[in-house]
Amino acid sequence: MNAPVAHAAALPLRLVGVGKEYRLYDSPRARLKALLTGRALPRSHWALQDVSLELARGQCLGVVGHNGAGKSTLLKLICGTLQPSQGRVERSGRVTAILELGAGFHPDFTGRQNLYFGGSLIGISHPQMAELEASVLAFAEIGEAIDRPVKTYSSGMVVRLAFALVTALEPDLLIIDEALAVGDQHFQKKCIERIQSFRDHGCTILFCSHSPYHVRHLCDVALWLDHGRMMEFGSTEAVLGAYEKHSRLLGGERAETAAAPLPYERGPDSALILSCDIADLGDGDPPTLHSPDLVATITVRGKGAERPNIGFMIEQERGVGITSLATHEEDAAPTEVEPGVWRSTLTFPDLPLHSGDYVISVFLFDETGLVTYDLWFQFKVIRIVSPTLMPGLVRLPHRWS
Amino acid sequence: MCRALLADCRQLWRLRELLAVLARRELGARTAGSAGGWLWVWLPPLLTTAAYFLLFDVVFGMRLGAAAPTARVGTFLVVGMLAWSAFADATQRGMMSLLEAGGLLHKNPLPPALFPARAVLASGVVFAPLLLALLPLYMGAHQWRAGVWALLPLLLLQGLLSFLLAYLLAILAAALRDVVQGVQLLLSLGVFLSPVLFPLTLFPERWRWLLWLNPMTAPVLGYQAALLQGQWPPPAVWLALAAWIGLLALLLSLAVARSRDQLVDWL
Repeated sequence: MNAPVAHAAALPLRLVGVGKEYRLYDSPRARLKALLTGRALPRSHWALQDVSLELARGQCLGVVGHNGAGKSTLLKLICGTLQPSQGRVERSGRVTAILELGAGFHPDFTGRQNLYFGGSLIGISHPQMAELEASVLAFAEIGEAIDRPVKTYSSGMVVRLAFALVTALEPDLLIIDEALAVGDQHFQKKCIERIQSFRDHGCTILFCSHSPYHVRHLCDVALWLDHGRMMEFGSTEAVLGAYEKHSRLLGGERAETAAAPLPYERGPDSALILSCDIADLGDGDPPTLHSPDLVATITVRGKGAERPNIGFMIEQERGVGITSLATHEEDAAPTEVEPGVWRSTLTFPDLPLHSGDYVISVFLFDETGLVTYDLWFQFKVIRIVSPTLMPGLVRLPHRWS
Repeated sequence: MCRALLADCRQLWRLRELLAVLARRELGARTAGSAGGWLWVWLPPLLTTAAYFLLFDVVFGMRLGAAAPTARVGTFLVVGMLAWSAFADATQRGMMSLLEAGGLLHKNPLPPALFPARAVLASGVVFAPLLLALLPLYMGAHQWRAGVWALLPLLLLQGLLSFLLAYLLAILAAALRDVVQGVQLLLSLGVFLSPVLFPLTLFPERWRWLLWLNPMTAPVLGYQAALLQGQWPPPAVWLALAAWIGLLALLLSLAVARSRDQLVDWL
C-alpha cells in the first residue's frame, strides 16, 4: 500500500504498523485502579490501526476521511504529542505542526514575551529567536503591538503572530491540520505563499483536510482513513475517487466532503462575490429555468490588482455533485469590467440535465486557485424541466448505431 | 521498571534550558500585570516568617522546654514552617501541573515530566533563598559549626523528594481528579503530623512512629539540627530521607510505565 518513494534513504517520515489504542474505563476510579494495580480491564478503542507509509522529501500527502476516521490522531502521533500503542513513528529533521494557532499564548504576557516562550517550546533558543525576531515580526505585521499584552490583540493578530512563529524556521516535515491559511485575505495569501515556498525547497507536507479541492491542488499522494484503518494510499486522484465514491454511498455524510463553509471576510476592501445572475429564470420556488441553456453571469471584486478566479458548482438537490468548474482550471480568465471588478459568463449550451431541482454554488479564488476568498455555498436552487420522460440524472453525449 | 523514570530524567537534563524558561514563566505568570512583579512572590513567605519571630519571640517571648533544639518558639517554628511551606507549595503546584498543562501537551511534543519539574523548580526559587537566608541569621546561636552545611544537601534532597511526589501525584490526579482534594486535605493535616509545630520530644513516644509516615519529618528534623544546633543531622534523618526517595522513585516508575502512552489522553 505504499506510494512510490523516490529516495529510500533519509526519509522525513516513516510509519511502521502504527496503532493507537484508547483505553476506556467505566469510571475515573477504574482508571486509578488500573494505574495502581495494573489489573482493571478497560474497554479498548483503536483510533488507528496498522498504518504504514513512507514519505520522501518534497512529497505532499493529503489525509482524508470522515470525522472519527483517525486523521487527528495520526497527525498527533506524527507530531509526537501522542505516543503510539503499536508500531513505530520515525521522523527525521525539523517537524512543524500548524495546529490550533496561538492556543499556548498567555494573555497577560506581551506578544514579544509569548514569541520567545513559544519559540522555546518548539525548539528555538533565545539567541536563535533574537536573530529571527525581525523577520517574524515583519511577516506577522504586528507592529508596535508586539509589546502589548496578547489579551489586547484581535484574534487575527494572534493567529498571524502564531503562524509567523511556527513557520519561522523552514521545516523538513510540515503538518497542517485543516486550516491551510489564517487571518484576513491578505495574510491568507502570505500563508499559502510561505507553505508553497517550503514545498518548493523540498519540505515534505502532511495536509489533513475535509476539502478534496485543496487536497487535489496541493497533494501528490493521498491517504484515506476510515475507522482508523488505511483504506487507500497512493496517487491523489485514485484515492480521492475511491473516497468520494464511498462518501456518496454513505449519503448523509456527504456534507463533510464539501469545502468547509468558513466565515469569509466581507470588508470594504475584501475580495468578494458581488452577484451571480442566472438568465431566463422564471417565478416559483424554486424558480424554473425557461431556456435550454444555463447561462450564469458572475461578477466579483478582486484583491488589488490581482486577477481572481471564479468557480461554479452544480449539485443535485440532495448534495450529489454533478459538475465543478473553475476559470483557473480551464485558462478562462475573468474579464475586468471596471477597476477591480471582474466578470465571467459561464454557458452550458443545451443543458443535458434531467428534470429536477439543482443547487448552485459559486467560489471566488485568488490567482493561484489555492486561497478561497469567498464562497456562496448552495446559495440558489433552480428547477429544470427536461422534455425527456426517461429516468436518470444527465443526458450523456451518445450515439446509437 | 525504572527505565521509564530514567528516560524522563535524561529528557529533563536535555531540556534543562526549556525547564528554566518554563519555571521563569510560571513565576512571571503569577505576577503578570502587577507593578510589584516578583516582589509579590517572596513577600508572603517573608512576612509570615517575620510574623513568627515578632509574635512568638519578641511580643510573647514564648520558650520551649530543655529537650527542644532551641528555646525560642518563633526561631524554632520558622525553620520547620519554611521547609513545610516549600514542600506544600511544590507538591500542590506540581500535582496540578499536568492538568493545567493539558492544552500545551496536546499541541507540543513535550515530556510530561517537564511540568511537575517546572513547578518544583519555581517553588525552589521562592523558598530556597529564604531557607538559605536563615544561615547568617541563626549562626550566632552556634558560631557556624560545620553541621550548618547540611542545609545544602537537605535542600537538594527535599527538592528531589518534592519532585518525585509531585510527579506521582500529577499522574494520579490526571487519572482521578479526586486525588487533588485528598492531597490538599492531607497537606493541611500533615503539618500537625510532623515536628514542624512542636519538637519531636514533645510527641508521645509510643505514637512517635506516626510522624515518620510524613515524608517531611526527616528533612524538618535535619533543618532543625543544622540551623538550630549547628549539628550534622543524625543517620536516622538521612536513612528516612533515602527510604522515602527510594519508595517514591519506585512508585513513580511504576506509574510512568503504566501511564506512558495514555497520560496525555487523560488531560
